[in-house]
Amino acid sequence: MSASISVPDGDYVPSEIVSTVFYSATVSDSLALVVAETVGGTQRLTWGNEGAVQLLGYGLDDLRSLPVEQLFPTLGGGELKLLLRRERAARMTLPVRTASGAVLETEVMTTPAPSGRMWTLRIISTANEQERALRATADAHERRFSALTERSPVPTLLSEQGMRLAHVNDAFCSLVGLRAEQLLGTGWINTIHEDDLDGVIEQVAAALDGDEVETQARLVRDDGTVRTTVIRFAHLFTPGVGAGFVGTIEDITDRLAFETKLAHQANHDPLTGLPNRTLLAQYVAERFHPGTSGLACLFLDLDNFKVVNDSLGHTAGDELLVEVADRLRATVRPGDLVARFGGDEFVVVCEHVDEEDAVALAGRVSIALARPMRLGGVDIRPYASVGVTVQTAEHEAADELIRDCDIAMYQAKAGGKGRVTVLDQQARAEARDKLRLVADLRDAIERREITLYYQPIFGIDDHEPVAVESLARWNHPERGPISPATFIPLAEESGLIAALGLLVLEETCRQLAEWDHLLGDVTVGRANVNVSALQLDDNLHGHVAAALARHGLDASRISIEITESALMKDPESARQVLQQLRDLGVQLAIDDFGTGYSSLAYLRHLPVDCLKVDRSFVAELADGHAEIASAVIALARNLNLSTVAEGVETAEQAEELSRLGANFLQGFMLAKPMTGGHIAAWYAARGETSR
Amino acid sequence: MTVTYLPVPGSDLPPTTPAFDVEQILASIDTMAAQRPVAAQIVSVANSDDTSAKALALILAGDVALASRVMKLANSAYFGMRGRVASLQFAVTVVGFTTVRTMATVALANLDDESRLPEDFWESTTSLALAASTLAPRFGERPQDALCLGLLAQMGAALLHHNDPEGYAEIVAAEPTFTGRRAAEVRRYGLSSLRLTSVALEQWGFPHSMTLPLKSVDDYTSMEGGLLRGAFEVASRLTTEDYEPVPIVRLTCGQLREDDLVPILDQVRADADELRRAMLGETPDDPEADPEDWIV
Repeated sequence: MSASISVPDGDYVPSEIVSTVFYSATVSDSLALVVAETVGGTQRLTWGNEGAVQLLGYGLDDLRSLPVEQLFPTLGGGELKLLLRRERAARMTLPVRTASGAVLETEVMTTPAPSGRMWTLRIISTANEQERALRATADAHERRFSALTERSPVPTLLSEQGMRLAHVNDAFCSLVGLRAEQLLGTGWINTIHEDDLDGVIEQVAAALDGDEVETQARLVRDDGTVRTTVIRFAHLFTPGVGAGFVGTIEDITDRLAFETKLAHQANHDPLTGLPNRTLLAQYVAERFHPGTSGLACLFLDLDNFKVVNDSLGHTAGDELLVEVADRLRATVRPGDLVARFGGDEFVVVCEHVDEEDAVALAGRVSIALARPMRLGGVDIRPYASVGVTVQTAEHEAADELIRDCDIAMYQAKAGGKGRVTVLDQQARAEARDKLRLVADLRDAIERREITLYYQPIFGIDDHEPVAVESLARWNHPERGPISPATFIPLAEESGLIAALGLLVLEETCRQLAEWDHLLGDVTVGRANVNVSALQLDDNLHGHVAAALARHGLDASRISIEITESALMKDPESARQVLQQLRDLGVQLAIDDFGTGYSSLAYLRHLPVDCLKVDRSFVAELADGHAEIASAVIALARNLNLSTVAEGVETAEQAEELSRLGANFLQGFMLAKPMTGGHIAAWYAARGETSR
Repeated sequence: MTVTYLPVPGSDLPPTTPAFDVEQILASIDTMAAQRPVAAQIVSVANSDDTSAKALALILAGDVALASRVMKLANSAYFGMRGRVASLQFAVTVVGFTTVRTMATVALANLDDESRLPEDFWESTTSLALAASTLAPRFGERPQDALCLGLLAQMGAALLHHNDPEGYAEIVAAEPTFTGRRAAEVRRYGLSSLRLTSVALEQWGFPHSMTLPLKSVDDYTSMEGGLLRGAFEVASRLTTEDYEPVPIVRLTCGQLREDDLVPILDQVRADADELRRAMLGETPDDPEADPEDWIV
């Protein structure tokens, strides 16, 4: 630091100036100091330090006589006295003219001496290199930031104060279709949907308070269209200025539309546009209050829809469904719900009706549907069977209402098509009973409470047992024994037949292995296992092979019995399944032969070993009618198949069957069905006897 | 920055002897500060970097009249908060520290006492302030700072009027335009009212960015001056009877065209009255003006 003080000859430098100079000089190296005095009515410089000489470019001598006005070109007229005040210090930002004529930006601080005629002036250049560099850096930052937001595809707002915007980017302008000038300040508020404005202001208030918040708001574009957006507000604080916010906007209009569409698709049938089963359940559940009444459901099922589909094609079928949906919509009362339950089934739900109203509506619907329509060049009348249920005190849950009208519809169908039926209580009780039984059956299968009995089959000549037939038995813990004629169809209807079939197959194989172990040479030769039509698929031979393998049995130890009607449902695929089983080595028998409508041509091509003559034909023998039994046995013989006569009750029947040429007999007279253990004892006893 | 000094018309004539000492006016500002200590305190702390809304609100609560004005302004249409501002601290946040400081300055300089002001002072001041705020983005300035600049620009005129009511009334009567009036002020007082404002603001520590436009208003090459000249032009067109418009392009260094002014004139006209009432604390529709409730 260097500070030289030159004192004019003979002049006295006041002590306060000296102290000021020294004080200031110690504070900063680059400080320019000059002293000004009022001389003859004008202010002139009387002294300057080294810093002043360097900053201003004047020689010390020139500086000493310089009028102050000349140094500060902008202080015209009376303005100099604003700088050189008599009673107090002043501070001004002023341009200073240097000796070369250049103008410097400076900050000038003046301190008056007590006399009011002399001032110290500190001159600090504000335009030094460092500051310029800092300003350039700040400007560059600013430019980078504005380029970033300007070009950002995210609509962005920058508030200056409160709701007032200082800046919006192009993305926001194009989102609302307005120019930036129209949006700055409070202009953007007009783009917010009136109903959402309060929410936005509330969030802005939170953001100004320091929170990060978001809100959903609709923006109204210049052309009147509405965009739904999520606006996120972040707090922005500028020291010494105050709080504002940065807002970024996400346009979620398309996303919401897509979600709405997805939600609609999830709840509606794409073909008819009607609510689907899911929405129906929801709709009824919302309106169902136990213990009240007035809610009614109509269940409609088109009669002979399958015929339309099969004969005119699926496109015509779809056309029919769409027409039915339109007619339903046009016929029901405003406010009633029409839903497509599935396939050709529709449900109408109405509120505030009694049974009479509901039946009347069902009648109107039937009439509307039965109007002829032209489909694929054919006039058809889409008749429907309609089941009606009105809520009663007995309905405990919403789904019971729909289930009941479903039952009523089946009653209508059973009573002849094209009818309207109101669910009667008996049918309702039966249907519920059936549902409970299905649940019990499921449990029984899972817990393996279905047991197997085995009925021996005898050779006709020597009356020796050649095989047994496995028969499933269900002893219900409360209801006692349930007939297979009841639970087998129930299992088929409720999808339990596969599990039941596997249980029988597995248990039979296990029992055969056990008998082999117990009986040795005199063991049971073969077991016949019944298979339902629903089990006739590609998986069957795999299950059979696995069961045999698991218990180490030869395929010849098993015979699969399939009813004639099961084979005739889809003869070609049945033939393939039978062939697979045959390839495996198991024997195949057709059960209940003669009761179905077999095509004899097919029968010839089926790879079977045996026909079982149905017990009804055997029973007829007693009445002297041997025609059918005789024909079946003859047919089998001609096709090289063996025959088993079922239901042999008397010695006369056995004798007659022997005469007709049957190969094997099965019946109560010969041996009743027995448990596995009894069979073992029975075989063992016979073995003893025969030895 | 290089400033080329353009003398105002008439300033090359030797100044007539000022009717009174400007120094006295400046000294009177200190006296005023003593009478409104709360306002003075806000003026001195509001621009420091570590000021918070909470601190300002606490000081502000000491001056009921000033606090109620800040509340009113925060809830005015200008800030778009629709009456949501219920606390003084939040009001300070919404209007910003510079605005609070400006309002304190208005109180300090007795600009809220219309009986001591030149005729139609606030009508032209609010138009000037709103015009400056609206034009600011065109000049790369913050609208909020420009608003404050506009609100305070005529403080010098008020001080001149206060100290020389008759003389200043003559000037106002003889010179309907702001430009003509400034030239007359220089002739009579040796400096213009805008210059006086800038000195006062510098004395109170307002930033250079706020005083520079006041000094540069008659420098037609200066962008800082351009904003204020444009704002004066807008205010003149709205408030001066039989005003002969000056082409805006010339006044604003080419930043504005006449077309741009149309929406700005509408906006300023629409908001000016509300801003004026907020600044003067006229609260006919605000029965809950108890500042105790606002303190957080």
